[in-house]
Amino acid sequence: MYGIHDLAALRCYSALSRLTNRFVVRRLIQAVPTVLGIVLLGFVLVHAAPGDPVLALAGENGDAAYYEFMRERFGLDRSLPEQLLTYFTRVASGDMGVSYVQGRSTVALIAERVPATLLLTTSALTIAVLVSIPLGALAARRPHGARDVGINATVLVIYSAPSFWLAQLAILLIALKLGIVPVQGMTTAGSAASGIGHILDVARHLALPAIVLSLQELAALVRLTRSGLIDELHRDHIRTARAKGLSESRVLLRHALPRAALPAITVIGARAGQLIAGTVVIEIVFGWPGIGRLMLTSIQTRDTPLLLTLFMTIALTVVLANLITDLIHGILDPRIRVG
Amino acid sequence: MRLCTGLVMAHALGALACAPEASDDRPFVAAITSDPGQLNTAITTNGGVHTAAGVLYDGLVELDLDLNPVPALARSWEIENDGALYRFHLRRDVRWHDGKPFTAADVKFTFDELLLKFHSRTRASLAPALERIDTPDAFTVEFVLRRPYAPLLQQLNVEEAPIMPRHVFVTGDPLRNSANTAPVGTGPYRFVSYTSGSEIRYAANETYFRGAPAIANVVLRVIPDPAVQVIALEAGEVDWLFGVPGPERNRLRQDRRFVVEQSPGYSGGSNCVSTLAFNLESPLFNDVRVRRAVAHAIDRHQVLERVLFGEGRVADAPISSGIRFAHASGLSLPDLDTAAASRLLSEAGWQRRANNVRTSGSVRGVRDGTPLTIRFVTMPGQTQYGDLLRAQLRVVGIDLRITTMESAVFSETVFKARDFDTAIISYCNGTDPEIGVRRQYVSSSIGPVPFSNAAAYSNSEMDSLFDAAASAIVVEKRTSLYRRIQELAVRDQPYVWLAETLSTRAHSARCTGFTISPHFVATARCRD
Amino acid sequence: MAFSIRGSESAELAPAALLPGAGWSPLRTMLKRPTGRAGLVLLTLLIVVGAVAPLLTGIDPAAVTGPSLAAPSVAHIMGTDAIGRDLFSGIIFGTRSSLLIAISVGLVSGICGLAIGMSAGFFGGAADDILMHVTEAFQVLPRFFLVAIVIALFGPGLDRLIIILGLTSWPVLARVVRGEVLATKQLDYVLASVALGASRFHVFRYVLVPQVLPGALVLVGLIMGQVLLIEASLGFIGLGDPNTVTWGILAGRAQGLFRAGWWLAVFPGIAITSGVLAFNLTADALSSFVQGGRDTAWPSSST
Repeated sequence: MYGIHDLAALRCYSALSRLTNRFVVRRLIQAVPTVLGIVLLGFVLVHAAPGDPVLALAGENGDAAYYEFMRERFGLDRSLPEQLLTYFTRVASGDMGVSYVQGRSTVALIAERVPATLLLTTSALTIAVLVSIPLGALAARRPHGARDVGINATVLVIYSAPSFWLAQLAILLIALKLGIVPVQGMTTAGSAASGIGHILDVARHLALPAIVLSLQELAALVRLTRSGLIDELHRDHIRTARAKGLSESRVLLRHALPRAALPAITVIGARAGQLIAGTVVIEIVFGWPGIGRLMLTSIQTRDTPLLLTLFMTIALTVVLANLITDLIHGILDPRIRVG
Repeated sequence: MRLCTGLVMAHALGALACAPEASDDRPFVAAITSDPGQLNTAITTNGGVHTAAGVLYDGLVELDLDLNPVPALARSWEIENDGALYRFHLRRDVRWHDGKPFTAADVKFTFDELLLKFHSRTRASLAPALERIDTPDAFTVEFVLRRPYAPLLQQLNVEEAPIMPRHVFVTGDPLRNSANTAPVGTGPYRFVSYTSGSEIRYAANETYFRGAPAIANVVLRVIPDPAVQVIALEAGEVDWLFGVPGPERNRLRQDRRFVVEQSPGYSGGSNCVSTLAFNLESPLFNDVRVRRAVAHAIDRHQVLERVLFGEGRVADAPISSGIRFAHASGLSLPDLDTAAASRLLSEAGWQRRANNVRTSGSVRGVRDGTPLTIRFVTMPGQTQYGDLLRAQLRVVGIDLRITTMESAVFSETVFKARDFDTAIISYCNGTDPEIGVRRQYVSSSIGPVPFSNAAAYSNSEMDSLFDAAASAIVVEKRTSLYRRIQELAVRDQPYVWLAETLSTRAHSARCTGFTISPHFVATARCRD
Repeated sequence: MAFSIRGSESAELAPAALLPGAGWSPLRTMLKRPTGRAGLVLLTLLIVVGAVAPLLTGIDPAAVTGPSLAAPSVAHIMGTDAIGRDLFSGIIFGTRSSLLIAISVGLVSGICGLAIGMSAGFFGGAADDILMHVTEAFQVLPRFFLVAIVIALFGPGLDRLIIILGLTSWPVLARVVRGEVLATKQLDYVLASVALGASRFHVFRYVLVPQVLPGALVLVGLIMGQVLLIEASLGFIGLGDPNTVTWGILAGRAQGLFRAGWWLAVFPGIAITSGVLAFNLTADALSSFVQGGRDTAWPSSST
């Protein structure tokens, strides 16, 4: 959702891609304090903030005895350092805690929601990549030509529009007025479909949110593909290919595109975190059962254990996504060697 | 074939006999705004959980349209010892969804181990009055109370006291019981499946003691955005909405495909009065003239029209008109009168230059020259009140600063830290002033309990009037006591009673026969 | 990050490389492109609107001045909201606060990013290591989550919004600036001037700052565009400050009403899009100017 400028950071990652296994291991080890630091930050934030999980739990009524009873159950009657110590001891032994509100393991709760978010984000990315490559190629053919300017301007306007707004417009115009796709949810309510029927049902529901989410990624990817192609098309091996009499489209697809796609891959990895954040709003509008909404609920109900596990999940996802990107980059670009 | 043709011609009479049963396969879909997380209504007062899971359970009694108790799991009852002993005779034909029989042991267990520990509302209201629960035999339950307690029957319905299966909860920690997400009840619907964040499926309880519901399958669908809920209703993806955003109501009402229904709410969540609370501990508001001035500056008709979109009525007494015996008529509540408001503020020491915000001049507890800025706190769904009140109060030189807080923070700020000047609170009066009105005025409920005496209003005369009203047996006596209570409240003005609100539901016109109870769908039927 | 970045690679660090660009005459290049022109015109227009807001509308955006949910008309050219406030004056005054938020965050993150990136690149060694680790940690948790959590937990307010967004938007900037500094340090003429006895301050002031600043400006421009989007999303999920009027809050108020009053969703949406677009287009045009300037000597007058 946020960031052409993240692209710039990616250039840093390209340097990072000179990897060895040792480097991978080292980065994973380096990630441990980062992730722990983030969980600590979350812990302190939630506990420093006003708002008492027990009051949230009590709802409309309750009395002093009830609060004391619940506090004791959750260990909230102890001092903050004591709670922190208990929490980290548990985490170290692999116990991520139990949700205050739902009484179930936070890991299980998150695991239930991860597939929906994963499906939504990967579909959005796939759509964005599939659309951006031809658009980028079209724009790169004649830099600064009418088509280039037109494509550029269009993706930039789309990128500049708030995603909830695009989502609302999409629901009104496409789902309600045209009635092509469902308005909300991930499956037809109460649907008993399984197998192919189930997959088709999910696909119909997925279309609109995935497209809206992909719009945020489109601008960056189109521009990357375009500039990558322009750079490549001036290189020697392309001139050679042209001199050999290969058709322009063949030159573009076979010789220029693979190399030009590298930065795009890097972008995708580096934007994992932003993409998950961007789904929050989309999940709310489309009623998509992902972790973004779980996050908002856990904030509202002060469900500290759930919130902290979510913090950790997201931080780990981002670290892993960055690492995987670096690895893919290293594989795809033979020029990158161990530094 | 011939027969069939004939039937088709006699379409109105009974084409159903020929139609395929496909219509029965289509589930009835109700939209809910949040994922309930768990489905045990005995361990929480969370409205989302009660909305989502109400159809699974029963209470000892049910409340009819006028909110009077009628038999449910209890087929009859006696009240003895001047209202200090309630004896319930249970139905003998009730079975849990898992086939086990329902007995008095379930009732005792539910109260002792679940409701009186985890259901904060039942715990707060019933626990102080309750001595113990006895089960003389398998189908008799006795509530032995410490003193006569008039409102007990109003607190035993499925919303306030759902009965849970002892055999499921008897071992382990009830908050972590796996039945909380795969529940077993006695209600008209039984649990089928729960997909987190997405939907919950129920099927008709074929052996329900009142007879199986007509609609075979019910799906509760999570749709967080209220506008999208309406669109989903119009697109035919959803059949029922538990709430409709104000301006959408008229549009739906004019559409013949839908029915919009309104009610003052049900049980503990009924007869709600949206109320502006003053913090009497704040130096700004310990002067009744300032409180009255604010009341005169508020155009409550505009609040009704623009915040509530006309749904409800302007309050004319501190107690809701829904509690007929207690509501006092003919009281004169301060109405819009900006001149009076300005005069009162000036008298109280808040002077105004030109059109600016007023500043203090010899107001007790306030340094001279302090601007009249009021900190107004509200929960996210109710910022519209703040927006409108800010515009209205500005006219008389009062500056309202709005702070929006999530409900957890709101409860702590208003009721525990008491760090506010005014707040918007919806006080649901319930079916008896003992349930939802008392907590608002008596000095013993000043304290960290959410939705208690937010004003911190303390008046010993008020306290003794409430005590007298609670133990009075004759209704006329109670009526006159509550009238005195309301006159006192109007005189001291710890609150501004803005409007009595209604709850709105909308459903597809192809289905009819809904009730306002948590079993809303159990009595309904749908046609094609 | 114990690896070195060679000069040739660091050229890639410039954001400009990602954006369309050729030609070198700075302002003319910016204005020659229709997109650059559009960006500058739009941005100037919005800043002027924000600056003279009270002259453009006599209506108080917080006051009840019309009927509830009136469609656009002569009296209320963008209609009114449920309470009866004028949407046009809301948009006009919203321009002021939305731009204020964006520019303040731009300043805070610009200062943080430049300070951290330059120190890391300039001093190198352990300082670089530590600073870059901190930067990475800040990048791991998505900004939107952090902001949503802090606002939800501590309550909405422009001050904290600006501080949190400012404190979380700088990492990208810091990395790019660091890369640029490292690259510049390796340039022949810099090495030569150091060899000839130029002071560190001299190198810093007359070489590094002019080289780094334009690229940083481009990024800050993009950050400001994103801030508008984040603010809008916060308004949408109900985390806006009700005491102020921003485009995001106006857009958030339309929730649940956008069928009854399309104008409540459409006009704030257009305002947000145009604001973000103004920052993006301007940054875009600026980047082509930066790229053009790279090969020639950077004109020192521009610093």
